[in-house]
Amino acid sequence: MPIAGMINSKLRNTIAIAGLLFTEFLVVVLARDIYLNGLHMYTLGASSPEITTPAKFIFPVRIILEVDSMNIFMALISSTIALIAAIYSMASMKKETGQDKFYFLTLLLVSGMLGMEMTGDIFNMFVFLEIASISGGALVAFRTRYADSPEGGLKYIVVSAIAGLMVLFAIGLLYSQYDLLNIAALANAIQYTTLDKIALALLAMAFLMKLGSVPMHMWLPDAYSVAPTAITVILLANSQASMYALFRTCFSLFGLTMNVNTLGWMLIILGVLSMFIGVTMAVLQRDIKRLIAYNCICESGFMLLGVGVGLAVLDNPTALATYGFQAMTGGIFHMVNHALFEGLLFLAAGVIFHRIGTRNLNEMGGLGHGLKFTAVLFLLGAFASSGLPPLNGFASKILIYESVYHFNPVLAIIAVIVSIITLAIFVKVFFSAFTGQMLPKFKEIKEAPKPMMISMTILSGIIILFGLFPGIVVDWLAHPAVNALINQASYINAIIGGR
Amino acid sequence: MVILESGYAFWNPIIWVIALATVMILALYFRSRGQKNYKKGTAQTKIFLCGEDVPEPELGHIKASNVYWGFLETLKDYYYAILKPQTGIINDLALWFVLLLAIGAIVILATGAGAVAK
Repeated sequence: MPIAGMINSKLRNTIAIAGLLFTEFLVVVLARDIYLNGLHMYTLGASSPEITTPAKFIFPVRIILEVDSMNIFMALISSTIALIAAIYSMASMKKETGQDKFYFLTLLLVSGMLGMEMTGDIFNMFVFLEIASISGGALVAFRTRYADSPEGGLKYIVVSAIAGLMVLFAIGLLYSQYDLLNIAALANAIQYTTLDKIALALLAMAFLMKLGSVPMHMWLPDAYSVAPTAITVILLANSQASMYALFRTCFSLFGLTMNVNTLGWMLIILGVLSMFIGVTMAVLQRDIKRLIAYNCICESGFMLLGVGVGLAVLDNPTALATYGFQAMTGGIFHMVNHALFEGLLFLAAGVIFHRIGTRNLNEMGGLGHGLKFTAVLFLLGAFASSGLPPLNGFASKILIYESVYHFNPVLAIIAVIVSIITLAIFVKVFFSAFTGQMLPKFKEIKEAPKPMMISMTILSGIIILFGLFPGIVVDWLAHPAVNALINQASYINAIIGGR
Repeated sequence: MVILESGYAFWNPIIWVIALATVMILALYFRSRGQKNYKKGTAQTKIFLCGEDVPEPELGHIKASNVYWGFLETLKDYYYAILKPQTGIINDLALWFVLLLAIGAIVILATGAGAVAK
C-alpha cells in the first residue's frame, strides 16, 4: 500500500478495492463449494491437507484452516462488509492524510478478521484476534486531530489486550493438559476438568467483552463513535467475529461435555441485559454514532438470546428440534442482518458527519431537504433494525420471538418491547436530523459523494433482498451454519478424520 | 425462497407487500378526493399556530435532547442507576470484566459437567 501510494493514490485505492473484491469472489466461490461438498480443510506448510498429525508428533503442529458452513457464513459477512466499507472510504477518507497507512491497516484488520473466522487452530485464532485488535485500535485512533479519537483507540486496544491475554491464558490451560491446539482435536480429547472449566469461563468472558456485551460494553460506543465511519462498519463485523469465536468455543470446542444449560442461560441473561440496557441507553444519546453504537449492543443481545436458547437446550433433542434450532437460526440470521442494517445506519450517519462536520443531533435539523437519498436509506436501515416488515430485521426477529416464546415467554416479551423502543430511538434521530424546516446553515448542503451512495445502495439492496426472500439466507446459509455448530461430532470427525 | 417457516407459523413478505401497496393506493385515492379549491399563498395554506407567528426554523425545531423528555423524566431513577457505573474510565471496565469473569467461573465450576462428560 505505501509503495502504491507513493506512485499514485488512485492506484493504491484501486489495489485495496481490487484485493477486497477478489477476496469476496474467493469467499463466494468457496461458499458454493462448501454448500455442495461440505467442510474444507487446508494445512499451511504441508503438501497435503491430510498430513495433520505426523507420526513423530503427538499433536498437529501446523496451522490448519478449516471452513465449514458456519465459518463461511462469517467470512461472507466480513468480506462483504469490508468491501462496501472500502468503497465508502474512497470518498469519506479523501481529504485525510496518511491514507497509505489507513488502507494498509484496513487490509490487516480484514485479514485478522477472516483469519479468526477460518482457522481451525485455537492459538492461531488468538494470533488473528491480536492482528485484528492492533490494527483496529490504530484505525479507531486514526483521526488524531479529534481529541476523542485517541481516547477511543486507547480503550479499544486496552479491552482487546485484556481479552487477548485471557484467551491466551485459557489456551495455555488447555495446551498444558492436552498438548493440543487444534479445536477439533481438543474437542475430541477434552475431559472438562476444573482447568477446562476455568478456560471456558476465560474464553467466554473474553469474547463477550470483545463483542460488547453488557456490562462489558462501555468501550464500544467510545470506539465506534470516533472511528472513521468505514472502520466503524468493519469493526461491527469484527465484533461479530468475536461472537463467532464465542459460539465456536461453546458448541464445537466444549459442546455437550460442559453444562450447556448453565452457559446457555448465561448467554441469555447477558443477551437480555444487552438488549434492554443497550436500547435504553440509546434513547439518551445526542451523538448519532454513539446512539447507533448502543443500538449495536442491543442487537447483539438478540443474537446472544437466540443462540443462547439453542445452547441451553442442546442436550435435549426434543426441545432442540421443537424450538432450539429455530432460535439459533434466528440468532445466526440476525448476525448477517445486523451487519447490514447497522452498517447502513453508520454509513448514513457518516454522510451527515462528512457534510456538516458534527455528530451532535442537537445541531441538526431539516437535513432531509438536502440529503434526500441519505434520509430515505437511513429510514430503511432504521426500519430494518426495528424489525419492521417486510425488511430483513423482521425476518430474523420473528424467528427469535416465536422460538424464544416457547422456551420462556417473558424473554420473548422483553425482545418485542426492546424492538419497539428501537423504533422509538430511530424516530428521534430521523425527526431531529432529517425533518423540519431546513436550517439556514444547511442551505448549501449537498447529497453524499458517489462512492458513499454506491456503498449505501448496495447495503440497502441486500437488506430489501433478504427481507423479501428470507429463505435464501435461512435455507442456504443460516440452517447449514446452525447444523455445523450443533453437530460437534461431525465437526470433530471431519477434521480429525482428515477429510 | 420467499416463505419463511418458523415451525409454528409462516411469513410471506410478498403478501405483506401486496397488502401494503393496496392500503397505500387506497390512501392516495382518498387523498385525491379531498378539497382542491383552496387558494395557495393565502392564509388558507399558511401554518396556523394559535394565532402566533411561526418561529424561525432554528427556534421552531425541537432538538434531540428535548425529544422523549417525559420518558426520560419518568425513568430518571433507572437512568441514574445504569449511568452511575458507566464512568468511561477504563479501570472500571476492567473491574467489570474481572467481576463477570469471577461470577462466570464460579457458576461454571459449581454446576458440574454436561451430558457427555468423559
